[in-house]
Amino acid sequence: MQESQARTLPSRPETGYSVASLPWWAILLGATALLLIYLILSDANYRETFLFLKNGVVVTLRITMIAFPISTVIGLFVGLARTSKNVFFYTVATIYVEVIRGIPLVVLILMIAFGFVPIFIEVTNAIGAWGLATFQAEVLVNFFSALESYSIRSISLELRGVIALAIGYGAFEAEVFRAGIQSIGRGQMEAARSLGMSYFLAMRLIILPQAVRRILPPLGNDFIALLKDSSLITVLAVNELTQLTRIRRASTFRVMEAFNVAAFLYLSMTLVLSAAVRLLERRLKIVE
Amino acid sequence: MRRIKLPTFMFILSLLVIIIITSGCGQPATQVSEPPATKAPVATEAPPPTKAPVETQPPAETGGFPNLGGKTITVAVENAYPPFNMIDETSGQGKGWDYDAVTEICKRVNCVPEFKQAAWDGIFPAMQAGEFDMLADGVTITDERKQIVDFSMPYVIVGQVLLTRIDETATVDEFKADPNRLVATQIGTTNEIVAKENFPTERVKSFEDFPAAVLALLSNDVDAVVIDNLSANGFMSENEGKLKIVGQLTSDEQLGFVFPPGSELTAAVDAALKSMQEDGTLETINKTWGLSQ
Repeated sequence: MQESQARTLPSRPETGYSVASLPWWAILLGATALLLIYLILSDANYRETFLFLKNGVVVTLRITMIAFPISTVIGLFVGLARTSKNVFFYTVATIYVEVIRGIPLVVLILMIAFGFVPIFIEVTNAIGAWGLATFQAEVLVNFFSALESYSIRSISLELRGVIALAIGYGAFEAEVFRAGIQSIGRGQMEAARSLGMSYFLAMRLIILPQAVRRILPPLGNDFIALLKDSSLITVLAVNELTQLTRIRRASTFRVMEAFNVAAFLYLSMTLVLSAAVRLLERRLKIVE
Repeated sequence: MRRIKLPTFMFILSLLVIIIITSGCGQPATQVSEPPATKAPVATEAPPPTKAPVETQPPAETGGFPNLGGKTITVAVENAYPPFNMIDETSGQGKGWDYDAVTEICKRVNCVPEFKQAAWDGIFPAMQAGEFDMLADGVTITDERKQIVDFSMPYVIVGQVLLTRIDETATVDEFKADPNRLVATQIGTTNEIVAKENFPTERVKSFEDFPAAVLALLSNDVDAVVIDNLSANGFMSENEGKLKIVGQLTSDEQLGFVFPPGSELTAAVDAALKSMQEDGTLETINKTWGLSQ
């Protein structure tokens, strides 16, 4: 009730037209964007840089679009475990969150790409070799020989970057989900349980629908942050936007062109995405 | 607050647009005339007057060499490019051909080298802006680079090779023909250019530095590294029995030191290099670090 009252209060007195009431930030941003578009159209260096970098946008978006849903799923389950009374789940989830959140993302990326994935492949191959030496049944032989010949190439550097980003952001999403679940009054769960619902049914039908609505803004922020952090994959020599920018700068020695166009492309993506997130928030608010 | 005059806003707006235009269109060439000394005081303890170009221009001879008057010069090294520069595993200090050669050069022209670790990526714009007095990193002399920085005389000629794992069976031609074989190299190097001339772009992976590229080779992520033969030898001796060279891609790359445009050091270093070539000192340093047999 109080909230709706506050909303009807006029945010500013209507005193007619004034210069300061114009959305100057949007006008300035738009002017800058127009200037860059003009440069791209008129200046050969800018145009070539743009044509070179635009392939990186596809890769950056691909990395983000794959990594974010995975990190959300990880976040959901780890967040549930973090609110769980089960000691085992709670401990495992807490260790995951605390460890991953405390490691810089770029270190995590390098660790996973050049440390854990090669070890994983070696272990898989070793299991395959052991299985081939131990069993004779045809089905098993096929299975183990597949394991033995599993190559590191099956997990490309781009995929390793996606895995690292998903694991890294999974920890942030877990805290978002935990906060969302805990923000719903405990009484609701107790009421649902006393009506005979199981814990998971109550979670699914009562708690999570409300929690998700509340955590949508931070989730949207993390989505945009993940898009920006996908630039760290450049350390794995994946041809995403930042990597192409560095290649472009290194081959032309033109710093401003390369980084201006890269910043322009990143900004275009993040601004469009934040507008989309805001739209989604407004839609879900009507239901509430 | 609500009633800010329109002219004020127009003024701020036009100011911002001017800033954006000047930063956006700024030609790198305009930076060339900028004196390198602008950033030097941060990097060195030696006071800025050490530049003293008037004194050194007609070189005060010290045994036939230009005299830099005990000036401290900052030398950028990557510490990731054996045998030119690398970190010694036991002492944690930098070592390599560059360290020995620059120290010897400075002995002859009376200067004090101060080695600073710098990232390779973006080093040329940094050198152009005068962030370091000198860059020693086995740099290939190219026409494109000459347009923004100065080079010393070439001190060694190298070729580029295909470095592979020891169990590689393919020849260079088979290598080029096989669409599944990937090559790695370092971003912004002439090796990257040669790699892209010899292999389709999508098979070339440009890493931050060569150790990362060699790591990717050792872990099977790529099948070869395009690299200068000397650093290939350097990596082979660092990873004994794991790597080999399968073939040559180029044979005529001249390496030199890099200076900011118009640097007074260029002539002094050239004179020292020439005398080191004549009296055999260069050859001795070359032998120490495997630049020649």
